[in-house]
Amino acid sequence: MIQKIKYLTLLAFTVMLTTSCNKWLELKPEDGIIRQNFWKTKEDVKSAVIGCYSSLLGPMAQTLFIWGEIRGDMVSSTITSTSEQIDIMNGNITSSNTITKWGTIYQTINYCNTVIDFAPQVLVTDKTLTEVDLNAYLAEAHALRGLMYFYLLRTFGEVPLQIKSTSSDNQLEQLAKSSQEDVYNQIIKDLTFAEANAVTTYNNHDYDKGRITRYTVNAIQADVYLWMEKYAECIDACTKVIGSGQFGLIAGKNPDGIVNSQWFNTVFYNGNSNESIFEFQFDSQQVNPFFSFLINTTKQFVGSSFVMDEMYTVDPLDDTNKDIRGDLSSIRGSDGLIWKFAGANNTGSVRTATSSYAHWFVYRYSDILLMKAEALAWTGKGQEALDLVKVIRNRANALPATEKAPDPISSVDVSDYIMEERAREFAFEGKRWYDILRNSKRNKYAHIQFLIDIVTKSAPSNRQQYILNKYKDIRSHYLPINLYELQTDKNLVQNPFYQ
Amino acid sequence: MAEFVITSRAPTNNGTGLNVEARSSTIATSTLEAKEIQEVGASSIDQALSGRLSGVDVGTTTGDPGAGMSIRIHGTASINGSANPLIVVDGMPYETQIPSDFNFGTADEQGYAQLLNIAPTDIKDITVLKDAASTAVWGSRAANGVLIINTKRGSIGKPTITYNLKASLSRQPSAIPLLNGDQYSTLIPEMKMNADGLPLDITANKEFAYDPNDPLNYYNYSRNSDWIGAITQLGYSMDHNVSMQGGGEKARYYASVGYLNQKGTTVGTGLDRITAKINLDYNVSDRIRFKTDITYTHVANDFNYTGSVRSVAYNKMPNMSIYRYDEYGNLTPNYFSPAQNIQGSYLGLDSKGNITGTNNTVNPVAMANVGINHQLGERITPKFQLQYSLIPNSVLTATFDVQFDINNSKTQTFLPQLATGRPTNEVSVNRATDSDGDALNIQTKANLIFIPKLKEGHAFQALLSFQSNDTRNISHNVATTNTASDILQDPSNPSRTQNSDLKLTSGSSQYRSMGALISGQYGYLDRYLINVGLRADGNSRFGPSNRYGLFPSISTRWRVSGEPFMKNVKFLDELSFRASYGHSGNVPGKDYTFYNYYSPYNYSYLGMSGVYPSNMELSNLKWETLIGKNIGFNLGIFKNRVRMDAEAYLNTTRDMFYDKLQVPTFTGFGTVSMNVGTMDNSGWEISLNTIPLKTKNWTVGFDFNISKNINTLRSISEFYPSTKGNITTNGVYQTYLQIGNPFGSYYGFKYTGVYKDADATIARDAAGNQIIGPNGQIIQMRFNYPATDYQFKPGDAMYEDINHDGNIDYKDVVYLGNGIPKFTGGFGPSITFKNNLKLSAFFNYRWGYQLINGTKMSTTNMYSFNNQSTAVLSRWRNPGDVTDMPRALYRSGYNWLGSDRYVEDASFVRLRSVTLRYNFTPEFLKKINMKTASFYITAENLFTWTKYTGQDPDVSSRGDNDPLSYNVDNSMTPPGKTVLIGITVGF
Repeated sequence: MIQKIKYLTLLAFTVMLTTSCNKWLELKPEDGIIRQNFWKTKEDVKSAVIGCYSSLLGPMAQTLFIWGEIRGDMVSSTITSTSEQIDIMNGNITSSNTITKWGTIYQTINYCNTVIDFAPQVLVTDKTLTEVDLNAYLAEAHALRGLMYFYLLRTFGEVPLQIKSTSSDNQLEQLAKSSQEDVYNQIIKDLTFAEANAVTTYNNHDYDKGRITRYTVNAIQADVYLWMEKYAECIDACTKVIGSGQFGLIAGKNPDGIVNSQWFNTVFYNGNSNESIFEFQFDSQQVNPFFSFLINTTKQFVGSSFVMDEMYTVDPLDDTNKDIRGDLSSIRGSDGLIWKFAGANNTGSVRTATSSYAHWFVYRYSDILLMKAEALAWTGKGQEALDLVKVIRNRANALPATEKAPDPISSVDVSDYIMEERAREFAFEGKRWYDILRNSKRNKYAHIQFLIDIVTKSAPSNRQQYILNKYKDIRSHYLPINLYELQTDKNLVQNPFYQ
Repeated sequence: MAEFVITSRAPTNNGTGLNVEARSSTIATSTLEAKEIQEVGASSIDQALSGRLSGVDVGTTTGDPGAGMSIRIHGTASINGSANPLIVVDGMPYETQIPSDFNFGTADEQGYAQLLNIAPTDIKDITVLKDAASTAVWGSRAANGVLIINTKRGSIGKPTITYNLKASLSRQPSAIPLLNGDQYSTLIPEMKMNADGLPLDITANKEFAYDPNDPLNYYNYSRNSDWIGAITQLGYSMDHNVSMQGGGEKARYYASVGYLNQKGTTVGTGLDRITAKINLDYNVSDRIRFKTDITYTHVANDFNYTGSVRSVAYNKMPNMSIYRYDEYGNLTPNYFSPAQNIQGSYLGLDSKGNITGTNNTVNPVAMANVGINHQLGERITPKFQLQYSLIPNSVLTATFDVQFDINNSKTQTFLPQLATGRPTNEVSVNRATDSDGDALNIQTKANLIFIPKLKEGHAFQALLSFQSNDTRNISHNVATTNTASDILQDPSNPSRTQNSDLKLTSGSSQYRSMGALISGQYGYLDRYLINVGLRADGNSRFGPSNRYGLFPSISTRWRVSGEPFMKNVKFLDELSFRASYGHSGNVPGKDYTFYNYYSPYNYSYLGMSGVYPSNMELSNLKWETLIGKNIGFNLGIFKNRVRMDAEAYLNTTRDMFYDKLQVPTFTGFGTVSMNVGTMDNSGWEISLNTIPLKTKNWTVGFDFNISKNINTLRSISEFYPSTKGNITTNGVYQTYLQIGNPFGSYYGFKYTGVYKDADATIARDAAGNQIIGPNGQIIQMRFNYPATDYQFKPGDAMYEDINHDGNIDYKDVVYLGNGIPKFTGGFGPSITFKNNLKLSAFFNYRWGYQLINGTKMSTTNMYSFNNQSTAVLSRWRNPGDVTDMPRALYRSGYNWLGSDRYVEDASFVRLRSVTLRYNFTPEFLKKINMKTASFYITAENLFTWTKYTGQDPDVSSRGDNDPLSYNVDNSMTPPGKTVLIGITVGF
């Protein structure tokens, strides 16, 4: 009998153990929110959208700087430049070069995709979230995704188009590259949705500069259309921004003709000025990646000497008469330090590691004007274009030495002149290479000489011939897909030049 | 009162509770008795194990006191880094994992040693379970093998007090000769000039000006400093251990306390350890017994602030002074830490607090002397066992075990201004960090053991076991800087906290597992034995769909020597064949991976906080399963004077984990954990124990073991990289992923010397004729045309142009070697005279493998401003020089590509230890009223026989078992030589 009881107890014990087992093994993390508990309220949607922006404050600005500048002519290497950077500058671009990694861009794209995929379900659980509010949040994600794909399109040409979020290992796919046409169409689709649903203001000045408004969307649209040579649409998008009345140029000179001493502080040091449309909002708690990259003794790039000598020039008679965008604004003339990110003021103080929070300027109002000018130039309205350039030059007190009088009828000449002005206006803002490429690839590379001249001029003497030959092959204008991506995605095909 | 029968035959123990006699064991094990290792100068048992057991490979991370070791049983059957075996102490698993978010300041693996701090003198025996049938009973954690450690317990008798002393001295052997200051100052300008044709600018690099008119630079940069000597010291260790044991019918006890004090051979490293242990056995009645074991360990370990002090010292420019000279040429006591010089400028600290950059200007002597990296560990492990005899005479016994393991670790680091010489407002000045990691682990085990009384000839026992494990880890990390003084070394002092380098983080995680095991062994006529087991495991690291795993095992033994037809073979004592088959599993290293979770950013955007999906939900991750097959035999002849155990095994790991499987980054993620493929881990081993001579006075023993282990991939995810190494980059070898071929092969160029002059650099075809271009021009030898298109110049390294096309590129890459030894093992003779004088030696060896001499590569590449070995004095300098050492080329050229220049046959035999021991005779001991007394002297690493020209051919494949990795020896000195004196007395 006792024996029996003993066995019964044992049996009961066993059964109890196995049923409670599953529950006992069910553990949830304490330092994070799992998806099943997220996406319940509109606050969740908002923090996920803000998360997309927060991701811009990582290493992305450095990537955009490298992609946009170092194949151009405005930066020079230093002794602390890495060999990979030197390789790119020497035209020795291989797919093993880590500069060709696109992961940071796609990371932000995935965050946008996550918002786009999951935010709509919050409508069910949170009745205080209206359809309009939701769409406004989605518009931010769509626009940011469009902007990211636009960087990829310009840098790599063809890229895989991932518009679904990856939240589980079930979703891993082997995507093939999409054609430039498809990527472009996706960008336009995103931007169209964003334009229709984005807010025009967040009723907060800084939010309007750091988050995407409808005008930000218009600015991206203008840029995309210009790249695709759709000038009417570009002009249309620019006009929407101009017509909003929300933006204006910060005057370089006070009405009395005296230089505006606060110009650098307003536009670049503080950022979020009236002429700003979209900027990455670095601040003291999250500084930009530029201190060791562009400022400290370890800096890897400086502005090339040509920037001061030929682009801005100095007035030999009166050194107070200067282009406000030049010395101690974009660049420190004495040593090429990239002042736009390094300068703490326009008198010579340098930012420290803790104050290296210059914003990354994505679009400024002057960009809208010059994009419009470029589109006008190619639609037979050369004079209107030159007038817009004049506006930019006047506010900056551009020196007569850099003034040119191209024939308004010659689209090429006007557009070359606009390029020069863009170089002055957007020095080191990560736009130079894309400007060069856009200007030479136009009309089926009718103007490739523009690119060839620039890259050979800035190449080291012993590499000139090599670079010349290389860049003559237009397929070399896009970066190769990184080896890592080719290894992990069997459907990806290397860009033709690098095969 | 019933008596417990103590069998005279040693049982083997797989740790679960079944007690099977060693001679009836159906599984592959090897056991090491405590006395075999107690003479070794090891502070930790893992060190003591090294080379003693066949099939067990122990690798060191560094030679510093307290540094971790990695233990591999039968090689590794996983391509993940975590291949350390499960350790079972007195029947309960012993946690050797640390919370993944705990910051140890330096390498993570060092944590491992902290966790294995069991005093070697407390250990009774160590058993290694090698085949999958034996490990299957431990289920989910046993795929890497199991190490069973039993500690000593009390026995009936008068109290015995034993005192052990081990004292040792160790010396860092002298390193390879490096250039002195004058030779270095000649090399550097030449290196720069060769690279770009411009002389070194000595106005910018005043450290090479040697200009007496610039006294500060002149005095500080005209030295011949011995950086290595300045950070090296004589190491020593003292290990005291007192133990007491005894007991009566009711209660028995074993208690010990030990103190270890060790100083490493690098300045600033040391270890203090206190261990205490009480093992109590209490028999309440003949049915109920208690066991209470309490272990306490205190560890205080000093490391260098950064792990790289020694490598910085090797690279440091020798013409620079260690201490600063003032402008009058007086030596000041301050460390000389210039803000920058030709070797670079200070780049700050990385997120782990290590000095970044390889060319840092940190003064290694300052760093070793004043940088503080202090690790503290407090671990207390109480364990209770209740044993209740449900049916007397051991027919049905129940045992209940519960073990609490409270393990607190702390790392404190402090980097005073003196260490770096940086301006006081920088974050590396007076930087204080404090990291706490607390782990609480509760394990239970409930066993039911059934041993029925059967008819003669039949033997059966069965076990039903339930086990549970609950581990909770909590960690806190804080880093602040700029405390007011270098005396204020704790972050609790008011100091700067606002900077992205600084941090205040905490983490917590929890992990649970449970297992149920049923296992039985049946023996018929003592000749036919079979053991069957089945274990079910549940684990919290898997999602609901993959949470449970089943691990069956079966093993058999046929004792041929017991068969009637073998009766006539008189000399044969034992001949058995064993065969086993079993499954064991492995769980992922991280918790909660099957959730997709959202983490907040640690900064805000426009004052708003954002969250992001920080991982991918791993819903497909399933158990890694190891399927092991093992056959073996045991042979004992001539009254067991010759005993031989042999094993052959094939372990197939299915659904192999890989933590860093690369996924396309358009997913938003870089790497993901996945089950990636199947790998075979196969090999064999033989161990032989012999006593060739045994007379009244003399006993001569000889032990020998040999083993071979290879890993072969059977299938792997297509996302796994298929090659590694960019052969056009200096210092890199190419490896290929080859399904079906063993690991370890690497490829590169063939080095044929140095281009002696311009004529030699002209491209030639197979017949030796110059290759002429289409326009009749002379073609130069090129490197990697057209991508790199470097034209070789006189003095450059010459590689064999295998296809004679005048271009050195991937087509000229050939097989160079394989880093996996054909055989490894050890052997050792021992000679005993009259039972009281014993001389024993232990050798280990590896045979048949090619090692890359990384030291040679880094000390002769003349590529950076690092100091080089004196071998570069024979470098090519002028056209016509015939040498095998290329010219110096600062950061350019292709003089040190992965080639056979650095590949050497590294087979070796090393005399690991020699011990002479004297035991006092019982007669003498009686006179002085003592129970035991002996003393011994051991010398370690006395000599190595090898053709290898590098420093240490004994590089084991440690840590990451990457199929694409190859073994490189980067040691700058041979292994340290140690002399140890030990005394054991018992009262």
